[in-house]
Amino acid sequence: MTKHEIECEQALRQVFEYIDHVLDDTERAAMEHHLHTCHSCYSRVEFEARLKAKLGELKKHDADPTVRERIKGLLERF
Amino acid sequence: MGISRRAFEEQLLALLGSLNGVARRLTASPADAEDLVAETVTRAWRALDSLKSEAAFRAWIFSILHNTFVSELRRASARPTLVSMECDEAEEEEGQFSIFEQMHQPFLLWFSNPEQAFLDKLLREDLDRALASLPEHHQVVVVLSDLEGLSYGEIAEALGIPVGTVRSRLARARGALQKILWQQAQEHGLNATSPASRQGNEGAMVRKEEGFIP
Repeated sequence: MTKHEIECEQALRQVFEYIDHVLDDTERAAMEHHLHTCHSCYSRVEFEARLKAKLGELKKHDADPTVRERIKGLLERF
Repeated sequence: MGISRRAFEEQLLALLGSLNGVARRLTASPADAEDLVAETVTRAWRALDSLKSEAAFRAWIFSILHNTFVSELRRASARPTLVSMECDEAEEEEGQFSIFEQMHQPFLLWFSNPEQAFLDKLLREDLDRALASLPEHHQVVVVLSDLEGLSYGEIAEALGIPVGTVRSRLARARGALQKILWQQAQEHGLNATSPASRQGNEGAMVRKEEGFIP
Protein backbone atom coordinates (compact mmCIF):
# COMPACT_ATOMS: atom_id res chain seq x y z
CA MET A 1 0.00 0.00 0.00
CA THR A 2 1.44 3.39 -0.95
CA LYS A 3 0.98 6.49 1.18
CA HIS A 4 -1.91 7.53 -1.07
CA GLU A 5 -3.92 4.38 -0.42
CA ILE A 6 -6.43 4.05 2.38
CA GLU A 7 -8.47 1.16 3.71
CA CYS A 8 -12.26 0.93 3.98
CA GLU A 9 -12.20 1.82 7.69
CA GLN A 10 -10.57 5.18 7.02
CA ALA A 11 -12.70 5.79 3.94
CA LEU A 12 -15.88 5.23 5.96
CA ARG A 13 -14.65 7.65 8.64
CA GLN A 14 -14.22 10.31 5.97
CA VAL A 15 -17.45 9.83 4.03
CA PHE A 16 -19.18 12.92 5.41
CA GLU A 17 -16.07 15.09 5.09
CA TYR A 18 -15.74 13.91 1.50
CA ILE A 19 -19.32 14.78 0.53
CA ASP A 20 -19.03 18.08 2.44
CA HIS A 21 -15.85 18.97 0.49
CA VAL A 22 -13.69 19.57 3.54
CA LEU A 23 -10.91 17.06 2.84
CA ASP A 24 -7.62 18.54 1.69
CA ASP A 25 -6.28 17.69 -1.76
CA THR A 26 -4.16 14.75 -0.58
CA GLU A 27 -6.97 13.25 1.51
CA ARG A 28 -9.44 13.74 -1.30
CA ALA A 29 -7.14 12.06 -3.84
CA ALA A 30 -6.60 9.09 -1.51
CA MET A 31 -10.35 8.83 -0.94
CA GLU A 32 -11.13 8.92 -4.65
CA HIS A 33 -8.46 6.34 -5.38
CA HIS A 34 -10.12 4.06 -2.83
CA LEU A 35 -13.59 4.72 -4.25
CA HIS A 36 -12.41 3.68 -7.69
CA THR A 37 -11.38 0.31 -6.31
CA CYS A 38 -14.04 -0.39 -3.65
CA HIS A 39 -17.62 -0.69 -4.80
CA SER A 40 -19.02 -0.92 -1.27
CA CYS A 41 -17.45 2.39 -0.15
CA TYR A 42 -18.42 3.96 -3.48
CA SER A 43 -22.04 2.91 -2.86
CA ARG A 44 -21.90 4.33 0.67
CA VAL A 45 -20.67 7.69 -0.61
CA GLU A 46 -23.31 7.69 -3.33
CA PHE A 47 -26.03 6.99 -0.75
CA GLU A 48 -24.91 9.71 1.67
CA ALA A 49 -24.48 12.26 -1.14
CA ARG A 50 -27.97 11.54 -2.48
CA LEU A 51 -29.51 11.87 0.99
CA LYS A 52 -27.68 15.19 1.48
CA ALA A 53 -28.97 16.38 -1.90
CA LYS A 54 -32.53 15.39 -0.98
CA LEU A 55 -32.23 17.41 2.23
CA GLY A 56 -31.03 20.34 0.17
CA GLU A 57 -34.29 20.22 -1.76
CA LEU A 58 -36.15 21.10 1.47
CA LYS A 59 -34.65 24.58 1.45
CA LYS A 60 -37.17 27.32 0.98
CA HIS A 61 -35.62 29.97 -1.24
CA ASP A 62 -38.09 32.77 -0.72
CA ALA A 63 -39.38 34.28 2.48
CA ASP A 64 -43.12 34.72 2.84
CA PRO A 65 -44.23 38.06 1.36
CA THR A 66 -45.46 39.19 4.78
CA VAL A 67 -42.01 38.60 6.31
CA ARG A 68 -40.31 40.36 3.42
CA GLU A 69 -42.59 43.40 3.77
CA ARG A 70 -42.08 43.52 7.53
CA ILE A 71 -38.30 43.43 7.19
CA LYS A 72 -38.30 46.04 4.42
CA GLY A 73 -40.36 48.30 6.68
CA LEU A 74 -37.92 47.67 9.49
CA LEU A 75 -34.94 48.58 7.31
CA GLU A 76 -36.57 51.85 6.30
CA ARG A 77 -36.83 52.85 9.96
CA PHE A 78 -33.11 52.22 10.68
CA MET B 1 -19.04 49.86 10.29
CA GLY B 2 -17.98 46.63 8.57
CA ILE B 3 -20.04 47.21 5.44
CA SER B 4 -22.17 49.97 3.97
CA ARG B 5 -25.86 50.31 4.70
CA ARG B 6 -26.65 49.41 1.10
CA ALA B 7 -24.50 46.27 1.24
CA PHE B 8 -26.15 45.32 4.53
CA GLU B 9 -29.62 45.62 3.03
CA GLU B 10 -28.68 43.77 -0.15
CA GLN B 11 -27.06 40.88 1.70
CA LEU B 12 -29.87 40.71 4.21
CA LEU B 13 -32.66 40.65 1.64
CA ALA B 14 -30.79 38.04 -0.39
CA LEU B 15 -30.60 35.81 2.68
CA LEU B 16 -34.09 36.52 3.99
CA GLY B 17 -35.54 33.28 2.64
CA SER B 18 -32.77 31.30 4.33
CA LEU B 19 -33.10 33.19 7.60
CA ASN B 20 -36.85 32.70 7.64
CA GLY B 21 -36.47 29.04 6.68
CA VAL B 22 -34.06 28.34 9.52
CA ALA B 23 -36.20 30.37 11.92
CA ARG B 24 -39.25 28.32 10.92
CA ARG B 25 -37.43 25.11 11.72
CA LEU B 26 -36.06 26.40 15.01
CA THR B 27 -39.35 27.77 16.28
CA ALA B 28 -41.80 25.44 14.52
CA SER B 29 -44.18 28.41 14.38
CA PRO B 30 -44.58 30.91 11.52
CA ALA B 31 -45.40 33.78 13.89
CA ASP B 32 -42.43 33.06 16.18
CA ALA B 33 -40.20 32.69 13.12
CA GLU B 34 -41.23 36.09 11.78
CA ASP B 35 -40.57 37.70 15.16
CA LEU B 36 -37.21 35.93 15.37
CA VAL B 37 -36.14 37.21 11.96
CA ALA B 38 -37.27 40.75 12.79
CA GLU B 39 -35.39 40.72 16.10
CA THR B 40 -32.33 39.26 14.33
CA VAL B 41 -32.36 42.07 11.76
CA THR B 42 -32.68 44.70 14.48
CA ARG B 43 -29.79 43.22 16.49
CA ALA B 44 -27.69 42.82 13.35
CA TRP B 45 -28.15 46.47 12.42
CA ARG B 46 -27.12 47.56 15.92
CA ALA B 47 -24.10 45.23 15.85
CA LEU B 48 -22.93 46.11 12.36
CA ASP B 49 -19.54 47.20 13.69
CA SER B 50 -18.85 43.61 14.74
CA LEU B 51 -19.06 42.39 11.13
CA LYS B 52 -15.49 41.96 9.90
CA SER B 53 -16.13 41.84 6.17
CA GLU B 54 -18.85 41.40 3.59
CA ALA B 55 -17.65 37.84 3.00
CA ALA B 56 -18.37 36.99 6.64
CA PHE B 57 -21.96 38.23 6.44
CA ARG B 58 -23.69 34.86 6.15
CA ALA B 59 -22.06 33.25 9.19
CA TRP B 60 -22.43 36.52 11.12
CA ILE B 61 -26.16 36.91 10.50
CA PHE B 62 -26.87 33.23 11.25
CA SER B 63 -24.89 33.63 14.45
CA ILE B 64 -27.13 36.52 15.47
CA LEU B 65 -30.24 34.54 14.51
CA HIS B 66 -29.12 31.58 16.58
CA ASN B 67 -28.10 33.65 19.59
CA THR B 68 -31.38 35.53 19.45
CA PHE B 69 -33.29 32.28 19.35
CA VAL B 70 -31.38 30.82 22.26
CA SER B 71 -31.62 33.92 24.42
CA GLU B 72 -35.14 35.12 23.76
CA LEU B 73 -37.45 32.74 22.00
CA ARG B 74 -36.38 29.33 23.07
CA ARG B 75 -38.43 29.18 26.23
CA ALA B 76 -41.52 30.47 24.48
CA SER B 77 -41.11 28.20 21.50
CA ALA B 78 -43.75 25.70 20.52
CA ARG B 79 -41.15 23.05 19.93
CA PRO B 80 -42.00 19.84 21.76
CA THR B 81 -38.42 18.98 22.58
CA LEU B 82 -35.78 21.42 23.62
CA VAL B 83 -32.34 20.11 24.26
CA SER B 84 -29.31 21.88 25.61
CA MET B 85 -26.92 23.13 22.96
CA GLU B 86 -24.05 21.91 25.09
CA CYS B 87 -25.09 18.30 25.22
CA ASP B 88 -22.60 16.76 22.82
CA GLU B 89 -20.33 15.72 25.63
CA ALA B 90 -23.22 14.06 27.41
CA GLU B 91 -24.22 12.00 24.40
CA GLU B 92 -23.48 8.36 24.50
CA GLU B 93 -20.68 7.24 22.28
CA GLU B 94 -22.86 4.71 20.54
CA GLY B 95 -22.21 3.69 16.98
CA GLN B 96 -23.86 5.93 14.43
CA PHE B 97 -26.95 4.53 12.82
CA SER B 98 -26.65 4.05 9.08
CA ILE B 99 -29.48 3.15 6.73
CA PHE B 100 -26.84 2.07 4.24
CA GLU B 101 -25.42 -0.46 6.67
CA GLN B 102 -28.91 -1.72 7.42
CA MET B 103 -29.79 -2.25 3.80
CA HIS B 104 -26.70 -2.72 1.69
CA GLN B 105 -26.61 -6.21 0.21
CA PRO B 106 -23.57 -6.66 -2.02
CA PHE B 107 -24.77 -10.07 -3.15
CA LEU B 108 -27.85 -8.44 -4.69
CA LEU B 109 -26.00 -5.77 -6.62
CA TRP B 110 -26.35 -7.56 -9.91
CA PHE B 111 -30.09 -6.99 -9.98
CA SER B 112 -31.12 -4.56 -7.25
CA ASN B 113 -29.94 -1.82 -4.93
CA PRO B 114 -32.17 -1.64 -1.82
CA GLU B 115 -30.59 1.45 -0.27
CA GLN B 116 -30.98 3.44 -3.47
CA ALA B 117 -34.56 2.20 -3.77
CA PHE B 118 -35.12 3.52 -0.24
CA LEU B 119 -33.97 6.98 -1.34
CA ASP B 120 -36.09 6.79 -4.49
CA LYS B 121 -39.19 6.26 -2.36
CA LEU B 122 -38.28 8.81 0.28
CA LEU B 123 -40.80 11.64 0.15
CA ARG B 124 -40.17 15.28 0.96
CA GLU B 125 -42.72 14.93 3.76
CA ASP B 126 -40.78 12.01 5.24
CA LEU B 127 -37.62 14.10 5.37
CA ASP B 128 -39.44 17.15 6.73
CA ARG B 129 -40.97 15.12 9.53
CA ALA B 130 -37.70 13.41 10.40
CA LEU B 131 -35.84 16.70 10.46
CA ALA B 132 -38.47 18.23 12.73
CA SER B 133 -38.11 15.26 15.09
CA LEU B 134 -34.41 15.83 15.66
CA PRO B 135 -33.25 17.52 18.85
CA GLU B 136 -32.56 21.18 18.24
CA HIS B 137 -28.75 20.97 18.41
CA HIS B 138 -28.79 18.24 15.76
CA GLN B 139 -31.42 19.88 13.60
CA VAL B 140 -29.60 23.19 13.38
CA VAL B 141 -26.32 21.71 12.11
CA VAL B 142 -28.11 19.66 9.45
CA VAL B 143 -30.16 22.65 8.33
CA LEU B 144 -27.16 24.97 8.16
CA SER B 145 -25.02 22.39 6.36
CA ASP B 146 -27.33 20.50 4.05
CA LEU B 147 -30.15 22.97 3.43
CA GLU B 148 -28.30 26.27 3.60
CA GLY B 149 -24.92 25.09 2.36
CA LEU B 150 -22.78 26.69 5.06
CA SER B 151 -19.21 25.43 5.38
CA TYR B 152 -18.00 23.81 8.62
CA GLY B 153 -16.19 27.08 9.40
CA GLU B 154 -19.33 29.14 8.88
CA ILE B 155 -21.40 26.78 11.04
CA ALA B 156 -18.75 26.96 13.76
CA GLU B 157 -18.94 30.76 13.61
CA ALA B 158 -22.74 30.78 13.57
CA LEU B 159 -23.11 28.43 16.54
CA GLY B 160 -20.05 29.58 18.48
CA ILE B 161 -18.50 26.10 18.60
CA PRO B 162 -15.16 24.68 17.33
CA VAL B 163 -14.96 23.28 13.80
CA GLY B 164 -14.16 19.85 15.26
CA THR B 165 -17.42 19.94 17.17
CA VAL B 166 -19.29 20.84 13.98
CA ARG B 167 -17.75 17.79 12.32
CA SER B 168 -18.67 15.37 15.11
CA ARG B 169 -22.08 16.88 15.80
CA LEU B 170 -23.01 16.77 12.12
CA ALA B 171 -22.02 13.11 11.91
CA ARG B 172 -24.11 12.28 14.97
CA ALA B 173 -27.02 14.36 13.67
CA ARG B 174 -26.99 12.54 10.33
CA GLY B 175 -26.96 9.21 12.14
CA ALA B 176 -29.88 10.30 14.30
CA LEU B 177 -31.78 11.54 11.24
CA GLN B 178 -31.27 8.22 9.46
CA LYS B 179 -32.47 6.34 12.52
CA ILE B 180 -35.69 8.38 12.54
CA LEU B 181 -36.15 7.85 8.79
CA TRP B 182 -35.64 4.14 9.29
CA GLN B 183 -38.21 4.01 12.11
CA GLN B 184 -40.67 6.09 10.08
CA ALA B 185 -40.27 3.73 7.15
CA GLN B 186 -41.05 0.73 9.29
CA GLU B 187 -44.03 2.45 10.92
CA HIS B 188 -45.44 3.34 7.52
CA GLY B 189 -45.54 -0.14 6.19
CA LEU B 190 -42.23 -0.36 4.47
CA ASN B 191 -40.87 -3.83 4.33
CA ALA B 192 -37.47 -2.96 5.68
CA THR B 193 -35.37 -5.89 6.54
CA SER B 194 -32.23 -5.63 8.57
CA PRO B 195 -29.38 -8.11 8.12
CA ALA B 196 -30.68 -9.96 11.16
CA SER B 197 -34.10 -10.49 9.64
CA ARG B 198 -33.26 -10.98 5.99
CA GLN B 199 -34.57 -14.06 4.35
CA GLY B 200 -33.38 -15.09 0.96
CA ASN B 201 -33.41 -12.38 -1.65
CA GLU B 202 -36.54 -10.60 -0.44
CA GLY B 203 -34.69 -7.92 1.45
CA ALA B 204 -35.69 -4.93 -0.61
CA MET B 205 -37.24 -1.81 0.91
CA VAL B 206 -40.69 -1.58 -0.61
CA ARG B 207 -44.02 -0.12 0.31
CA LYS B 208 -46.26 -3.08 0.80
CA GLU B 209 -48.77 -1.88 -1.74
CA GLU B 210 -46.12 -1.27 -4.38
CA GLY B 211 -44.06 -3.63 -6.38
CA PHE B 212 -40.33 -3.37 -6.18
CA ILE B 213 -38.83 -2.44 -9.50
CA PRO B 214 -35.08 -2.97 -9.52
